[in-house]
Amino acid sequence: MCPKDIASASSAGARLRNRHSRVAIEMTSSPNTAGIGLRLAHLSEMIATRPSCGWLEVHPENFLANPHAAELLIALSASYPISLHSVGLSIGSATGIDQKHLRRIAELAARVDPVFISGHLAWSVYGNEYLNDLLPLPYETESLEVVVRHVHQVQDVLQRPFLIENPASYVGFQSSTIPEAEFLAQVTGRTGCRLLCDISNVVVSANNLGYDPCAYIDSLPAAEISEMHLGGYTPEPDEATAGAEVFIDTHAAPISQAAWDLYRYALGRIGPRPILIEWDNNLPPLTLLLAEAERAAEIRMEVGHAASY
Amino acid sequence: MPRLTEIQSHFRDTVVSNGKTRVGLSLTGGSDPSKRLLIHQRNYQSSLIEALRTKFPATEWLVGTRLLAEAAASFIQEYPPTAPCIAEFGATFPDFLATRVQHVGYVRDFGRLEWFVGKAAIAVDESPLDGSLFSSIDEDSLPDLILTLQSGTHYLNTNWPVDELMVLYLNDTAPDQLELIPCDGCIEIRGARGEFQINRLETGDSIFRQCIFAGLSIGAAAERALDASRCFDPGRALAALLESGLVTAIRQPE
Repeated sequence: MCPKDIASASSAGARLRNRHSRVAIEMTSSPNTAGIGLRLAHLSEMIATRPSCGWLEVHPENFLANPHAAELLIALSASYPISLHSVGLSIGSATGIDQKHLRRIAELAARVDPVFISGHLAWSVYGNEYLNDLLPLPYETESLEVVVRHVHQVQDVLQRPFLIENPASYVGFQSSTIPEAEFLAQVTGRTGCRLLCDISNVVVSANNLGYDPCAYIDSLPAAEISEMHLGGYTPEPDEATAGAEVFIDTHAAPISQAAWDLYRYALGRIGPRPILIEWDNNLPPLTLLLAEAERAAEIRMEVGHAASY
Repeated sequence: MPRLTEIQSHFRDTVVSNGKTRVGLSLTGGSDPSKRLLIHQRNYQSSLIEALRTKFPATEWLVGTRLLAEAAASFIQEYPPTAPCIAEFGATFPDFLATRVQHVGYVRDFGRLEWFVGKAAIAVDESPLDGSLFSSIDEDSLPDLILTLQSGTHYLNTNWPVDELMVLYLNDTAPDQLELIPCDGCIEIRGARGEFQINRLETGDSIFRQCIFAGLSIGAAAERALDASRCFDPGRALAALLESGLVTAIRQPE
């Protein structure tokens, strides 16, 4: 082993030790219950009624540009654990990540003390353009290096493990050489980041790309998963294949039975994790969102994991 | 194998373009995976058009849904967002819209007024400066001082009474037909925490306040205002500014 390798191994060891100590903190302070995605339309009602709910997750991009909403979020953080789920970090961008945006997220995190900060295994930025969608990555050596580099950058600024969510996919790449679950495992192994397993995304991608959703759950590194998501999707005729349906990750509908069933399966394979109900479009009354969270908590009980909601 | 930048360049062009898919990529997903790219194109278009409609409901009321949606669709193709917070997207849309709706001469100013109203309503105000602080300030040093205004303050110079039009919209009292008569002026928009005010200012006051807003000293702002209006009264203007609660801080020049 050359000196450079020794230095590198030593640095990796230190990172691993840091990683384990940070994870220990995270696991003791995170809310292992059911929560909801909080959108601006429900913010005032949430403030006024303070309903029972395990935790709240917000898109920081909605609050960074809205000082009044940020002020209300900070008030809510005294009553509920808050998670920041970024839709603008774009860790898969070949053209780099926006350091200014990353710093803004870190500043918001300093004010709400979030239990998690997460993002997506996807990209949305090309150059200086934000394409406002979560776009797919090929899974091969170059993209792995890009994602690992950006996760390191994010964690260096945030000073905490970042959570990466498995994507909802409509297309894959013939050039991919690494299965998605293995790609995620390599990213966690090399960066110390954690995983956010979106159960509904697994249902969506499995339908659209033609694989077994249970086998995908089985192939994920369960010990690295810190959070789960459930959200609604919308089936529509698939223009790519006559007579077939493509599932669109709209977050605009109730959670499907297929997603609830896969959630039960994942609970059995992975164990209980903080679970979040996501709903972004055609937003229902707050009470319906809370009812969906309650259902997720009940399923945990049925599967045999004690849950507090 | 294409490089990641090449793949993402292909995707960018497909997502932003309207109705065209620039394929050139070997994809999987269904019998004809390239058609799945239209899902991403649709996501981009529908989310951003909806974002603009949400920001400009009064402007949509003025020009109609079809015109606004068509202009928004063109705008997002020519000017994709350059910031991750979509709430910050659309500041230049009124200028773009004005090039598409040339028969409504005041649409640009009306759209800009609506943009400022939206910005003011989400601002957070701070405690205003106590005006009595000024009594302890040496009269000779007063002109050099620089004031900070509430963050939810904006100024719009316009040749049209778009503030009156906005009031008609907000009160839902617009007549079936309305002829706006051009009139020069400056509108002050201020607000915080979901509320806002729209005030039309006299020439001297408008110059004075806009100079203060731009970071000029009290003395420099007053000189500019006097140049524009012989009847401008600096003492009265400063007192009115303090009384309005718009001043949050005072500092010496660096």
